[in-house]
Order: sequence, then C-alpha cells, then structure tokens
Amino acid sequence: MSATQILFWFLSALAIVSALSVVISKNPVYSVLSLIITFFAVSGHYILLNAQFIGIVNLIVYAGAIMVLFLFVIMLMNLNQDNEPQKNKWLKMAGVVSGGCLMLVFVAAFKTSEVNGKIAQTIDGNIGLTETLGKALFNEYVVPFEISSILFLSAMVGAVVIGKKGD
Amino acid sequence: MNALILSAIWGVVMMFSGIFTKSGAAIRGIAITGLALLLVVNVLDFQGTALVDINTRGMLVYNTFSYMFLNIVFGATLLYFFLSGSDMERVGLHLAEYFALIFFILAGISIVASFQTLLMLFLGIEIISIPLYILTGSDKRNLKSNEAALKYFLMGSFSTGLMLMGIALIYGSKGSFSLETIGAGTGVITPLLGGGMLLLLASMSFKVSAAPFHFWTPDVYDGAPTVFTSFMATIVKVAGFFAFIRLFETSFGSVQAQWQLFAAIITAATLLIGNITAVFQQSVKRMLAYSSIAQAGFMMFALVSLNGKGSEGLIYYAAAYSLATIGVFAVLIKLNDYTFEGFNGLGKSHPLLAATVTICLLSLAGIPATAGFMAKFYMLSAAVENGKVIWLVILGVLCAAISVYYYFRVIQAIYFKDGEPQVAEVSTTFKVVMVLIAVLVVYFGIFPQRLTDFLYMVY
Repeated sequence: MSATQILFWFLSALAIVSALSVVISKNPVYSVLSLIITFFAVSGHYILLNAQFIGIVNLIVYAGAIMVLFLFVIMLMNLNQDNEPQKNKWLKMAGVVSGGCLMLVFVAAFKTSEVNGKIAQTIDGNIGLTETLGKALFNEYVVPFEISSILFLSAMVGAVVIGKKGD
Repeated sequence: MNALILSAIWGVVMMFSGIFTKSGAAIRGIAITGLALLLVVNVLDFQGTALVDINTRGMLVYNTFSYMFLNIVFGATLLYFFLSGSDMERVGLHLAEYFALIFFILAGISIVASFQTLLMLFLGIEIISIPLYILTGSDKRNLKSNEAALKYFLMGSFSTGLMLMGIALIYGSKGSFSLETIGAGTGVITPLLGGGMLLLLASMSFKVSAAPFHFWTPDVYDGAPTVFTSFMATIVKVAGFFAFIRLFETSFGSVQAQWQLFAAIITAATLLIGNITAVFQQSVKRMLAYSSIAQAGFMMFALVSLNGKGSEGLIYYAAAYSLATIGVFAVLIKLNDYTFEGFNGLGKSHPLLAATVTICLLSLAGIPATAGFMAKFYMLSAAVENGKVIWLVILGVLCAAISVYYYFRVIQAIYFKDGEPQVAEVSTTFKVVMVLIAVLVVYFGIFPQRLTDFLYMVY
C-alpha cells in the first residue's frame, strides 16, 4: 500500500465518520464542528486528485468563512436539546428505509460500474493548477462563467428583499 | 441568446428604477416596456436578425421550438404583468425588486429553453429557483408565506443536490457535460449512467411537481402571495417541463425503452393524486395548486411518448395552460375570500369577469372549442402514436373527467349560487386583458394550427 493509498483510505474514513456525526450528534455545535472536519477531509481528497486550487478554495471559503459564520449563528441562537422538536418515530423510520434503499441500489450498481478499477491521475499532471483552471474558465467555459453572475445578482437582490427593514 | 442578455440587463434596470422612482405605475411601465422589448428581440432572433451574436461554444443552442416556447413565455408574462402587476404592490414595499427577480427568472427560462450541456441546465434551474424562493417569502409579515419559503428552499436545495449528484455520475460515465455526447452511443444503460439518469429524473420531477415529488406544491402555492403563485404555477412550471423533455429527448432518447415505464408510473401517479386530491379542497387557491399538479400529469405525456407530436403538444399545452391559469388567478387575486363561496354570485355582480373566468375554467377542464381541449388532445394522441402506453391514455381520459368536477364547482358558485362577492376595484385594462385571454383561449381552441404552424416556419 503506497502512501497515497493510505492517505486516501484515511481521508475517506474520516469524511464518512464525520459526515455521519453531523447528522447524528444532538448538539448543533458538535454538528458544525464535524462538518468542518468533513470539509477538511474532502479538501484532502481534492489535493490528492491534483486539484490544489479547489482544495484550498474549499478550505478558505467553506471551512473558513461559511462555517465560522454558521457557528456564530448557532451560538447566538442558543439552540439546545431541550427545545428541539420531537420528530415522528415513523417518519424517521421511513427516512432510514428509503435512504438505505437508495444506498443499497447505488452500492450494488457501482460495484460493477464501468469506471471501476480506474484510478484517477494522482501523481503527475497539472490539471488542477490555477493557471490551467483560469484558462479553461475564460476560454471554454466563459459563457457559463458569465451567466453565473446572473445567479449571484439575483441571490443578492433576494437577500436585500428579505433582509431589509421596513415591512 | 439575445433574450437571455436583454432579460438579465432589464433585471438590473428594474433594480435601479427602484432608486429613482417610488411610483408603482412608473415601475410597472418600465417592466412592461422591458417585456415588450424582450418579445420583439426574441421574435427578431427567431427570424434570423440577432442583435448580438455570441459564440456559446455549443452550450446554448436555440431551435424553432426554443424560440416559439420563449415567445409563449414572454407573451404570457406580458399578459400577467398587465393583469396582476398592480397587485404586486400590495405584497410589500419592494416592487422594483420583485420585477427584477421576475426578469432574472425569465433569463433562467431562456437558458433552460436552449441548454445543450448539463452545466447550463444546472445554472438555468438555479437561476429560476433562487428568485422563486425569495418571491415565495416576500410577504414577510405573513407566517404562512415564511413557512412556505423555508419549506420550498430546503426541499428545493435538496433536489438541486440530487441533480448535481446525478450530473456528477453522468460525467463520470461519459466524461462530458454535453447532451449530445451523452446521447451518442448510449445503447445500453451502464450502472453509472443509470444512476445519474434516475437522480436527474427525480430532481426534474421535483421541479415540475410530479408525484411522488409533489408534496411541497400545495403548501408553497398556498403560502406564497397569490400574485407570485400565479407566475410560479404557470410560466415557471412549463419552463421546467421544457427543460425536462429537452434533457431526456437529447441525452436519453435512445434508451427510452428502459425508462418509459418509470415515466409512465410517475405520470399516472401525478394524474391520480392531483385530480383526486383537488376534489376535496375547500379553498380555490389550494384547488388550483392541485390542479396544477394534475395538469403537470398531462404535460408528462410528452415525456412518456417522446415524439414530435409530444413536443408540439407541449408548446401548445404551455400556451393553453398558462393563459387559462393566469386568467383564473388574476380574478382570484381580486376576490377577498379564496373559498369556493367567495365566488358566489359573481355572475350577477360582475358579468364580464364571470364570463371570462368561466371560459378559462372550461379550458382547464378540457371542454371542446377551448384551447385546453386541443392541448389534452395533442398529449393523448402523442401517447397513442407511441403505442406502448395505451393504459395511460385511458387513465388520462378518466382523470380529465374527474377534473371537470372541481372546475365546475367554481362555475356553479359563480352562476347558480347567490351571494355578494367582495371584489376589489378592477381597471379597464384588466377587463380588456381578461377579454383578450378569453378570446385567445377560444381562438387557439378552434384554430390550434395557428400556434403550431410557427414551429415549421422557415425564415
């Protein structure tokens, strides 16, 4: 087992365990902290796949900025177990069963998937460098890149409409 | 492409118009001008005179169906602005922003009418959805509106997540986002591709509120301010269908035999749940929400049959359904009481409104000589032509019969029950546009080819 493989399995296990604890833990602060660990693990995967830029941006933007904001909001709202609404037991069961079915189908299907056994380029290649990414973004994908500005603009207008005082 | 650019620009213009003027009439005027320009630009583009020509690298490809569909969307929105533009002022203080968000949605619709890669599909769907979450929650003092917005946002984000997962799986199997590359050589479904297709089917069904992914629809449509429900239930919904069918026709058309049964079951469930639940509603607004699910079932026929007649029928259905539903909602907004009793005696006090709304309801029910009848006819004959889903055709006819019950309950309240309906002041423009809608509904019902002929016109 090479070092890359060991890292891969370690990061995968870390990501799955911490993602599960986001859902399971009762305390919202623990949930957020586990989510941050998940983001770190996923960033590690990105770096293993030679996508250094995305890995770093994922850390800075998600694990850094957004999750800290999240943590502040949760601490300000002072949520605790006592005032968490009790969910219907049957509803929980139904969720587990349907989610489990989806997982079963996907695991069964992907065991025989066509890309099975093909390993991503992990050691060489400069596909994830900022320069390559920038070139792709401003040549091949310039139309979606510009159009996504409409999306952000509409989200900003929406935030103003929802957040503005007065009505 | 020109319509996309202009609608995005006009969204920004609407934002700035809110700074310079507080007058509702002026803002409405700017919005209507913008929409009329949009329609003109799109028609010009259709005829081959593009104002700006942008190389999209095959990511957006407009064909006659896209142009025709966009013409219908812009035309219906124009009528909607004339009818309900003044009622938006009653929702909240941010009239200019509401119009800006609607223009952004129209930009999203121009994308989903022409996308050729999954990337653009995702962007288009998101540009449509995010302003809609805001519009749903725009009545900030109303708890029901808040609840609806949160529900819609959470469920909508979840379904977007499913869609992204599906796109990722498809990319993994084909190595490309392009619909044509995905469609080429897809003789058999491999596990990755099948998984991705299934997730896309689920998330697109959610966006068009097909059963069993419809649970958000009644709550959201009921909780949202009625003016925006009208827009959501008509124009946005048909845009979702257009994207749905374009996606499946181009990329999974060759393996249709393998997913047709899925689509047929979704269609059957949508028809049954929509129609049967609509029967038991007490509020007309909620009834219209379920009726929109039921009508979605009919639009699903285009997906199940996936032939030329189906696509033609979808364009026609989009026009017929949007016109009639916008008309019914416009009158509903003017009423004080949204229950069926609220319509009691409308025929005596407001004969013109009553007559036009009745024509719209008849069209929704699919009575001959209205556009709704021909729309249903197109859809059913597309399925008959396909030949593999005759049981679905029979179910469709039965469900159309059920739908007559709840639409006629409104008509019965209008003409055969006595009461004093409380109707807000209606302007002359409103009456003129209502008459125009009624005339269009009947005109397209008698001469359906006047609409579909445009699809085969070559400039």
